[in-house]
This record gives sequence, C-alpha cells and structure tokens, in this order.
Amino acid sequence: MIGSLGLKLARFAVVLSVFALWEVLSRTGMVNPRLLPSASDTIAMLGQLLQRASVRSDLAVTASEVAVAFVLAVPCGALIGFAIAENRYFAEVAKPLLFFAFSIPKSIFLPMFILVFGVGFSQKVGFAFFSTIFIVIMSTTVAVDSVKTEYLTVARSYGATTAQTAFRVYLPSMLPVLLETVRISMIFNLTGVLLAEMYASRDGIGHQIATWGENFQMEQLLAGVLMIAIIAMTFNELVRWVETRCSHWRT
Amino acid sequence: MQPLANVTRLQPASRAGSIQIKNVGQVFKTSTQSVEALSDVSLDVKPGKFVVLVGPSGCGKSTLLMMLAGLRKQTSGTILINGAPIVAPDPDRIGVVFQEPSLFPWLTAEENVEFPLTLRGVDKAERRRKAQEALLLVGLDGFAKRHPHELSGGMKQRVSIARGLVQDPPVLLMDEPFAALDEQTRMTMGDELLRIWAATGKTVVFVTHSLTEAVYLADEVVVMSARPGRIVDHLTVTLPRPRTYEMLSGDAFGAMRDRIWRHIRKSA
Ligand SMILES: Nc1ncnc2c1ncn2[C@@H]1O[C@H](COP(=O)(O)OP(=O)(O)O)[C@@H](O)[C@H]1O
Ligand SMILES: [Mg+2]
Repeated sequence: MIGSLGLKLARFAVVLSVFALWEVLSRTGMVNPRLLPSASDTIAMLGQLLQRASVRSDLAVTASEVAVAFVLAVPCGALIGFAIAENRYFAEVAKPLLFFAFSIPKSIFLPMFILVFGVGFSQKVGFAFFSTIFIVIMSTTVAVDSVKTEYLTVARSYGATTAQTAFRVYLPSMLPVLLETVRISMIFNLTGVLLAEMYASRDGIGHQIATWGENFQMEQLLAGVLMIAIIAMTFNELVRWVETRCSHWRT
Repeated sequence: MQPLANVTRLQPASRAGSIQIKNVGQVFKTSTQSVEALSDVSLDVKPGKFVVLVGPSGCGKSTLLMMLAGLRKQTSGTILINGAPIVAPDPDRIGVVFQEPSLFPWLTAEENVEFPLTLRGVDKAERRRKAQEALLLVGLDGFAKRHPHELSGGMKQRVSIARGLVQDPPVLLMDEPFAALDEQTRMTMGDELLRIWAATGKTVVFVTHSLTEAVYLADEVVVMSARPGRIVDHLTVTLPRPRTYEMLSGDAFGAMRDRIWRHIRKSA
C-alpha cells in the first residue's frame, strides 16, 4: 500500500499531540491540575498501580469475570444464531424480537441482576453475558446468511455429509464474520463487566475505578482509564490481526 | 415408476456416460401456487456426445440439470445415467460445473480441485497428483497456488472444469458456465472445452442462452419451449470437427442458428 507508513506516522503524531496537549494544559495550569493531572504523572501512576497487589488482584477478578462471561456468551449466542438462521420459521418469529431486545439499553436491567444474583461474581458474569449474547446472536445470523447457496450446492453435488458441509463450507466461509463477532462481542462483554462492577461491587477494576472517582483521586482514576483502554485496544488489535491473516482471500 | 431391476434389464447395452430422460416433469409447489417448470421431457444422450440445451430464460434448463445432478427430485418420470437411476448426487457418475461464483474463495485453485477428493478421504499425495493432472488438462498448471480472487474469470471457470473432472466421471453437466465471461474469453473457453472434451471423451450436457455458442459446441442442440419447458426441437449439428471460427459465418451455421431462433421467438 502506497503511503501506509506515512499514514502510520500521521496517526502516531496525532496520538502524541493529544498527550502533549494534555501535558501542557495541566502543567501550565490552564486546566486545574487537580482536575486533570498531567499525562506524565498519570503514566507514572499507572506504573505504580500495576505494582500494587490489590490492583493486580482486582484485575485478576475482572479478567476472570470477562473470560467466563465471554466463554459462555459467544458459543451460546453462536448456537442460537445458527439455529435461527437455519430454521426459516424460527427466523421469522425470532428476528424482529431480537432487534427489539437489542435496542433496549442493557444497563437498566442491572438492578434486577443484583436482586437475582446478589453482589458478586455471578452478577457480573450474568450481566455481561446478557449484554453480549444479543450481538453474538445477531452477528451469527448475518454470518450464516453470508454463506452463499452456491457453495452449499457445490458441496452437495460432490456428496458432502452434514459434518463436512459444516466444517468445510460453513466454517471457513463464516470465519471472517465470526472473528469480527468475537471482536465486537468482547467490547460489549467488557462494558458489561465494568458497568456491573462500577454499579455495585466489592472488587474488580471497575469497582476500583469508581472508588477512585468518588474519592476524587484523579491521577489513579485517569491511570485506570488508560489501563482499561490499553487492554481493550490490545485485544481488539489481536483479533484484527488474526482476522487479516484468516481472510487474506477476501478482496 | 418401474422397478429398478426391470429398468436395468431394459438397458443392457448402456455404456458409461449414457443419459436417458423419460417423461420427466417438475412441478414447484409454493404455499400459494404450483408452477409447472418442466412437462414430459424425454431425451436420450449417447455416451461421449456433446449436447447443448437452449431455450428462453425460465424454461427449466437449470431445473433439468439439477435433476440430472441428483440435486433435485423430479415430480414425475425417470432419469437414468449409465443405465441406473439418479436418486442423489453421485460424483462417481456426474461432475457439475456451475456458473460463477462457485469456487471456494478461501481455497487455492489446487485445493478447490481437490475438494471432491477431500470429501471422500483420498490421501493427500493422491489428491495432489490428481489435481495437478486436472489442472494440466485445463491448461492451468502454473496457477495451482493462486486463490480465486487472483484468477481471471476464464481461469476460474477452468478451475471449475478441473474440479468437475477430477474424479473422472463419465458425465459432465455445465450450467451456463461461460455466461459471465466477455465475448473473447468466451470463444477461447469454448475451444478449450472442445479440446478437453475430445481428450477425455466425456458426455457433456451444456446449458447456454447463446445460440452461436450452442451450434458451435454441440453434436446435438435440444431446444426447449417457455414454461412449462418441453422439448420442441432436437437437431444434429452436421458441421465437421474440429470446429473453426470460419464456420461461424458459413451458411450451414446460419441455417441452424435461424432454426433455433425461430423456435425461441415463437415461445417467447
Ligand atoms: N425452487 C423453486 N421454487 C419455485 N419455482 C422455481 C424454483 N426453481 C425454479 N423455479 C421456476 O421454474 C422455472 C424454471 O427455472 P430454471 O430451471 O431456473 O430456468 P432456466 O434455467 O431455464 O432459466 C422458472 O419459472 C422458475 O421461476
Ligand atoms: Mg438457469
């Protein structure tokens, strides 16, 4: 690609200027440093936080909640999505309902999750699962629909069994869309867990960030925000990297 | 329907590659109506013949091919290939070449050609060898590792043909395989197909909406009427082989083209 290095440099420059602006605003006192600690102080704080055992255990709690919710929501959603896409009648009935359900802000259900699960691990996992599954179902139906009927006819004409059709036609054909689904559902999943932690929790990094905010510890708060941003972006880029490797045949 | 044993006894001499279509009909039933797509179609194809189906759009050519391929069950009549009925797709007897885009974009040319063998669990070395052979036959031996998006339209259809031939079935069914190609590529592909056909001795059933292509390629042209599709003419192309570009402007060629065109105009 022509100029792709130039584009990368330009992007890097933008990020750098945002941090520079942040630093200047805070250092010169144009924005009250108590409200906006400087970029360098925040990054230093981030380093400190990562050394703290309590922060690490909070991160571990959040990570396990995210992982469990993700591992439950993605296959469940994919199976339901597959069933819907493959069954004409089921699809007619379920699709509009899913769209309705998807349009409701999930956060308003949070109090109910607390009533049902109490405050703890299952409340977070339950809520994150609930926040994620609809997008997985909808994306999977899109993925199934993206499999061209021509491909299925070809497979059938060469005598493919159901399992062969599933693994040799459906799966590779859907892979790019499925990876995209994994990427997007992680965003929903992480949002679900953090929201649940910030709303009512005893541990987890979301809870910690909420506490820093309530106590007006701006440096810690911003460092926490930075930390979450970096983690989310890293995962996102990782899946995108796999995506480009797996779908090199897509033009 | 006649009992199977009976049918086979009636066709003792049928060789590999023969096709017998007897009183075949197809009615599509939807929730609101039923559409008769084909009505009482009977056709005998001798082994090794190149037969072209033409007819107005929607007359049931694809439907007939789908039934020959075992991809759709006829509502009435019988279809025998090699003297035995077709009840399900049978890659041993039938290879199918579809219109674009039927290659799997995530597989290389070679892997696409191997696909039918992969399904049957043929080991890798054997698969490679047969795929190489088929790609060589269609003139694509240098392009084995390319993905479909790196191939031109004509090359893609060569890969499709190689895939159809890789299991060496006696019958090759082709549904408008060159319809998406430009005029020049289409002419070249026609010549290529005739070369491959001459080299392999397959029975070919070829659907097209180009009358020129029909006469140029065929031993026999079968003309179908508008829905419900019936056979309204069945003509033998007397032009010698190999066919050449000069024949296109000859009187014999023109006369056959006109005869087909009159049928089609009448039913359109
Ligand atoms: N699955 C189907 N259900 C209902 N009608 C169909 C179906 N497939 C084909 N038809 C109808 O049967 C007729 C023949 O179709 P087709 O074989 O595709 O025609 P052709 O290939 O000659 O253009 C058309 O009128 C088409 O609308
Ligand atoms: Mg057709």
